[in-house]
Amino acid sequence: MSLRLLKYAFIEDYAEPCWFNTPATLGESYDVIIIGAGGHGLACAHYLAHDHGINKVAVLDRSYLGGGNTGRNTTIIRSNYLTPEGVAFYDASLALFRDLSDALDTNIFYSERGHYTLAHNESTLRTARWRAEVNKHYGIDSEVVDAEEVARAVPGIDLACGGNHAVEGALYHAPGAVARHDAVAWGYARQASRAGVEIHQHTEVTDILVEGGRVTGVVTPRGTVRAGAVLSAVAGHTPSVLAMVGLNSPIEIFPLQACVTEPVKPWLDTIIVSGSLHLYVSQSARGEMVMGASLDPAELHSRRSSFEFVSGLADGMLDLFPGMAGLKVNRQWAGMADMTPDFAPVMGTTPVAGFYLDAGWGTWGFKATPISGKTMAATIANGRDDPLIRAFNLSRFDDFSLVGEKGAASIGH
Amino acid sequence: MKYADFPLLGRRPFTEFSISGVLEPEPAELGEWTAARWVFERTSVPRERVEWWYHGASRLWFLVRRDTGSDTILAIEPARTGSRS
Ligand SMILES: Cc1cc2nc3c(=O)[nH]c(=O)nc-3n(C[C@H](O)[C@H](O)[C@H](O)COP(=O)(O)OP(=O)(O)OC[C@H]3O[C@@H](n4cnc5c(N)ncnc54)[C@H](O)[C@@H]3O)c2cc1C
Repeated sequence: MSLRLLKYAFIEDYAEPCWFNTPATLGESYDVIIIGAGGHGLACAHYLAHDHGINKVAVLDRSYLGGGNTGRNTTIIRSNYLTPEGVAFYDASLALFRDLSDALDTNIFYSERGHYTLAHNESTLRTARWRAEVNKHYGIDSEVVDAEEVARAVPGIDLACGGNHAVEGALYHAPGAVARHDAVAWGYARQASRAGVEIHQHTEVTDILVEGGRVTGVVTPRGTVRAGAVLSAVAGHTPSVLAMVGLNSPIEIFPLQACVTEPVKPWLDTIIVSGSLHLYVSQSARGEMVMGASLDPAELHSRRSSFEFVSGLADGMLDLFPGMAGLKVNRQWAGMADMTPDFAPVMGTTPVAGFYLDAGWGTWGFKATPISGKTMAATIANGRDDPLIRAFNLSRFDDFSLVGEKGAASIGH
Repeated sequence: MKYADFPLLGRRPFTEFSISGVLEPEPAELGEWTAARWVFERTSVPRERVEWWYHGASRLWFLVRRDTGSDTILAIEPARTGSRS
């Protein structure tokens, strides 16, 4: 690495090739159009080309690549979910994540840290035991540990938690990890691009063409583009895109905020979540403390961040880690989370032929980026739902067959 | 922090309220299919809508017209007997 850097110091033209190509003109037709160049849309493009040989694909984004929730999340990756469908799905994602740096020829800084979900009372501890048993049944590394164990693993934690809500134990998930979200998006973009996929930024889809119940293309300010298959992977904009094809869904958009402190020496090498205090924290490779809290209380289609968020977060965080009192918050931001009533995604085929949906990722979708891309690519290539995502189809709300994952959600809602 | 003037209460911060849904007419006929839609479907696009706001301390309910694109409050009125969704 250092030699490569040194080499650049002596050459005039910067030789690192562009990570992905942006053709000057938008084509007239493609086999598949993907709306949204977030991690999910780009992963799907990559697997369409890589697994299925479909590379006449255009990924369109109204803004810049990875600028949606993909570039705004706190990058926690885990598979200790509650339903058999959820556990199988997220565990398959973890397996892909572990090899992703190699597969994408891009260092995504995948770092297994261990993940503690703290329990501050008996009822949370009971849910933790339930989750651990479900997890173990499906072969996931997950166990309940007592408060002493937490104290051993987590330096600086105040188990009495300011005297108000003592930590009684935790659900521990050893494979819990973090990764660089931008690297994931850029890695998928580069591989997709190398395989011939076109990525068009600043190209908003303003309408979707449907003829006789079948998708035929999309409308953009740069012209109309034809395609027999269109995937919506737009997270916080899903309801507006669904309206273009006349579909409704239970998805509701709520802001989710996060912040980072100034960088400090490494001291916290695990991921800490407290559902009771509505907060979570991990330390990034750069030394910043990455922190988040609950969803904002009301639906909002905006990415404004608020003072109530940081002050509320600091209140609970300093109960847990009094030593962080001197740290300064460097940045705070928000993303638009596409929430579902059962905390499971909405994926797969829809009542409109050729129109596919990858949404309902709420506060939990970064960890699903590889597997959602892979299963959506298979779904589009075969024209029917991949077995791993069948339970997540939009039709589950008509059939009252929900996939209850709320008990496994990290954060308050 | 955001504040607004509430009838009966005066100027209050938003954090004192819980927001529990949208004022929407109930479907005339509730079959199994329409019931599923009524229970689950949402119109979550930026728009003006009337919401139920509950003030815990005073146990008062309000109907608040809010723009969910810009987060501006357009009107506030106390909910009365007969206000229903
Ligand atoms: C603060 C925060 C913290 C989070 N923390 C975690 C976490 O720790 N772990 C985890 O697993 N998940 C987490 N999430 C959730 C996760 O970030 C998302 O679920 C995931 O990134 C969704 O990826 P995506 O590719 O589907 O959407 P996005 O990355 O949002 O991409 C959608 C893209 O679609 C584009 N778009 C929208 N409308 C149009 C249109 N009409 N035409 C063209 N393009 C359009 C947007 O510009 C955007 O780039 C968090 C989310 C937030 C906001």
